[in-house]
Parts: sequence; C-alpha cells; structure tokens
Amino acid sequence: MKIKEGYILRSVAGNHIVVGVGAASVDFNGMININDTGAFLWKIFEKGASVDEAAELMAKEYDIDIDTAKVDAEAFAEKLEAADLIEK
Amino acid sequence: MKMHKIADLNVLLDYHGKVLAHQAPAYETDEKCVPDIIIDLPDEFLAEKIKENPHLNASECEYVFTGAAFYNNIVKYNGFLLHSSAVEYKGNAYLFSAPSGTGKSTHTGLWQKAFGAEARIINDDKPAIRATDEGVFAYGTPWSGKTDLNLNVKVPIKGICFIERGEKNSIRKISTAEAIALILNQTLRPYTAEGMNMLLDCLDKVLRVVNVYILTCNISEEAAIVAYEGMQ
Repeated sequence: MKIKEGYILRSVAGNHIVVGVGAASVDFNGMININDTGAFLWKIFEKGASVDEAAELMAKEYDIDIDTAKVDAEAFAEKLEAADLIEK
Repeated sequence: MKMHKIADLNVLLDYHGKVLAHQAPAYETDEKCVPDIIIDLPDEFLAEKIKENPHLNASECEYVFTGAAFYNNIVKYNGFLLHSSAVEYKGNAYLFSAPSGTGKSTHTGLWQKAFGAEARIINDDKPAIRATDEGVFAYGTPWSGKTDLNLNVKVPIKGICFIERGEKNSIRKISTAEAIALILNQTLRPYTAEGMNMLLDCLDKVLRVVNVYILTCNISEEAAIVAYEGMQ
C-alpha cells in the first residue's frame, strides 16, 4: 500500500505532523499529529510497501519481535486507510 | 509604483484606491533599494475579483488582493500572517487569534481600557510575523482588515494567545502540538509543498521561542489583566 500524493510529513518544534498540499489540501485542510514510530512507518508507506515489509523494517529498527511490529504496523495502516490517505 | 518598507521587506506597491491611499503612506520609503516583493495587480485580475466579490467596491478589492499578494510572498522570507489582533504593551507584542467574530478586537480593545495609551494596536487583523536571528517579531502592515488600526512598528512577540469566550477569565499555556494546529487554521496555507515547507520552517523557529496560550475570557477589563499576567 502507498500513501496518496500530496501529503507531507514534517517535524515542527519537535512534533511530527502531516499536512496536505496542492490538490490533497482541498480534500484535507487539517493536520495530523503522529508519534515517532508513526513517522517511521509513514516514511515507509510513502514509498510504498506491504504491511509485512513495514513490520520487518520496524522490527529491525526498534529491535522488537516481528509479531509486535506486525500489530503496530497493521494498526497504523488501518488508521491511514480510515483517514482515506491510501492510494486505491 | 512606490517603494514601501513593510515587515522589514522592500515592497514595490502600486495602487489606485482610497483604502490603500489612506493606509499605505505610513509605510512609504524614499530609500533606493531592490524590491523583495513587487505587488502590481493586473487590471483584468482586479476586474475579475470585483465581479466575484459584489460586497466589495473596487478600492476594497484592491486592498484585499494586494494584501493577499503580500502575505503569500512573506513565506519566502521566514514570515507568515496570523489572523489575530496584535497589541503592544511595555515593549512586547501579544497576539490574540480566533475565528472571525469570536472577539479578538474586542479583547485588545479591553487592553486599551485597562492599560491606557501605553497599549497600542499593531495590527487589528493580520499582523505579519517574522522569525529573524534577533528573535520573533510582529509587524504592522497596511492591511488590517475592516479597520485602519495598524502601526508601522516592529515589536518582539511575548505570547500568542487563542481566545475562547467564557464566563470566567482564565489562561493556560498549550503544547506546541496543539499550537501548530491552531496556528495553521488562522494563517494562509501555501498551496505548494515548497511553500508549505517554508511556512513550517518558520513555524518551527517561532514555536521554539514563543509561548502559545488559550485564553477563556469574558468582556470585562479583568480579561486583559488575566491575559497579560498569564503571559509574563
């Protein structure tokens, strides 16, 4: 799955935020706050990856077991889908 | 076309209407300098805007859209507008922001009642904010919304405050995360990723230095005192 075009992830005063630009800002002119793991996963899904691939990268990066990583990656992916941020 | 110094930027501005004729001269400069921003709205553009905005006359349209041109450009210079009423008191600027109609101008009016002539309105609608090496400043500009309350001054910002109406007066400091969302809602959001990144760069600098608060307030003079004391 891949995040739609037009959303940028930025760090502002120590906070990770996502905002829409261009055409995306018409659909979404709010802002999302995400935490550090969220930001890590966002960058992966921005390039495009499966939930399993994201979980593997997460397990490596944070030195956690793959099952925990899978739960977190799936939860995050669900949030993205619910917010309509994933390319169909 | 005349040269103006607005928010420490050289602005070459052309206008014909009454509103700017009244409000722009305070910002004129004789200095020979290279313009940072050139605002020269084409006649066809203005004609189109006048048609689209029947509630505004030609002079008001020119005022609104020259202002938009200015604020769209300051993002390139570490600046942005905050839809707020900015008051100066004892050498510091305090910005009160909220959606239209909440009572920003009413509140800064209370500062003038409570603190007298020492409290001056820097810009009653859209002060320019710029993050510089010497700190974060609020500036008056010729564009101050429905009133002509603006001063050609540059004042360091002590606090940014979002107003909510309430029965009792109270103020609390908020997190930068909360502040970002509130500020983004009361500024011009650039359309392009490049512009948005410049705005967020500036916001990053501002939020590392300036505290942001939420003020719940009524329309008594006490509201001004609670706000001022809460931001020291």
